[in-house]
Order: sequence, then C-alpha cells, then structure tokens
Amino acid sequence: MGVKLNALLKSPWVFHLSTGSCNNCDIEVLDCLTPRFDIERFGMLLAGSVRHADVLLVTGSANRKSMERVKKLYEQVPKPCLVVAIGECALSRGMFINSYNCPVPVDKIIPVDVYVPGCPPRPEAIIAAITKLIGKVKKGAEKS
Amino acid sequence: MNRETVLQDLRKKFSGEIVEFMEKSPKRVYIEIKKDSLRKWASYMIKDLGARFNIASGVDSRAHIEVLYHFTLEDINLIISLRVRLKKTDLEIDSLGAEYPAANWIEREIHEILGVNFKGHPDMRKLLLSDDWPEGVYPLRRDYKEWDPNAIRDRGV
Repeated sequence: MGVKLNALLKSPWVFHLSTGSCNNCDIEVLDCLTPRFDIERFGMLLAGSVRHADVLLVTGSANRKSMERVKKLYEQVPKPCLVVAIGECALSRGMFINSYNCPVPVDKIIPVDVYVPGCPPRPEAIIAAITKLIGKVKKGAEKS
Repeated sequence: MNRETVLQDLRKKFSGEIVEFMEKSPKRVYIEIKKDSLRKWASYMIKDLGARFNIASGVDSRAHIEVLYHFTLEDINLIISLRVRLKKTDLEIDSLGAEYPAANWIEREIHEILGVNFKGHPDMRKLLLSDDWPEGVYPLRRDYKEWDPNAIRDRGV
C-alpha cells in the first residue's frame, strides 16, 4: 500500500457537503459523531475545509445551482479522495426525480465510490458503508 | 375594529372594484379585485387598516394565472387575500415591490416561475433559478415541458 493511500485510510477526514437536501441526512451524519455512534474511533473527523479532506460526503439531490459548486469542490479535494453519496436523494434524487431543477443524479456530476441508500440512512448504515469502503480500498491496494 | 366593520368598510369603499367577495371561513376572506386597482387596495390595507403584508402567491389555473396577495390583520385574527385574475395573453400587473420592500422578492419569484410581469418593479432579476435557465420557460406553468436534452429522468434500474 502506498504512503498516500495509507495516510488516507488511517484517519480519513471527512468533508460534509449538502447539495440541497432536506437536512435529514445531514442530521444522521452529525449523529455519527455523537458519543453513541462515535465515528471518531475509526479516526474520522469532520474537516472544516474541503482542502483538508480525504472523503467527500454528499447529501441531497444536486440542483442546477449546486451542481456547479459540487464540481468546484470536487476539484479542490486533494487527490486521491473518496466520494460517498448518502441518502436516496444523492443516489437517484428520490422524490425529486422529475423536478425541473434536478436534471441529473450526483454520480453523473462527480465519480461516486459508495452509495448509502435510505431516507435517511441510519448512522449504522453510514458507518458500515465507510468501514466497508476502507476495507475495499485496502484489499484493492494489496492486490495491485 | 372587528371583522364585520372591516369587511363592510371594504365593500363600501371599493364597491366598483370587487369582482367577487368570498368569505371562506371566519378567519379567511378572499376578494377578487380588478387588476388596475391593486395599488389602491394595498395602500388602504397597509396604511389605513394597519394590515401586515404576509406573502403573495401565484397559481396557474389553466385558463388564467392568479396572483394572490395575502394580508394579515392580527388584532382581529383575519387573513384577507386579494386575488387578481390575469389572462394568459396579458400577464401584466402593477408591482407592489417598489412601495413595499416585503413584496420585492416574492414578485421576482413569481415572475421567474410563472412568467407574470410586474410593472414598475425596481429589480426584476432571477431569484432562485440558475443563471443558465432559458428565457421564456416557466417551470410551474401547467404546460411546462422538459427543455433540457441532457436531463435523465429514470433511476437506471
């Protein structure tokens, strides 16, 4: 495993990006940080700036205005980075699929590594997804 | 001031400008007015009656586009909605945004979403839609059709 990837997975710093969600997924993400679920035991921290982040958490169905912002922020994340889409809206826009303001799902705007379905997904689901992601990247790195 | 005297005064003062007077419930009254008299109505409601301008709303009712201005009289627990019915061929209405700043943004939103032109509005830019939204496409009209060829409307399963 490369030095870069090791540094990325040891303590992934997470940037939480809401692209116009109803805030329910955002509350679940914040729930992960509370002592009950305590996501910090995996070394995860919410980063204040996207330039410090290793993982981009995307919630909400990206609308025409936030699409441009999502692209800009993705360009600013130090690479290699991982993108996690949380909630039905970020996966397929959920009930907003026919909305005039939500033309494409998030994974058509930026490449997404993990999808966490649910409306909203439980904190356990988010933790499981991220630990699986870490395991998968480690396995992939060992093979190559 | 109570509900009956307020409504009676309105009927007397604006007898020629009322199209329809509907008392929906004890708390809500809808008054359909002629569109040229909107400014007069608004100034009477706000300056003389002391009503609060609550919000405006727009409805596409197929044959017409309706713009409703909702005023609240908090002392007597009454909401008076002034309804202006506009023909789809002539979507011009006097703006309240110049005189009452509270109406500024909602008129901008009704303009971009339903295509109503507010005469005399100080600043008729887009409010919520993105900058690349095409001119003349109004998303909340009944006859709105998908205009973006790149839009994906299936879940991919």
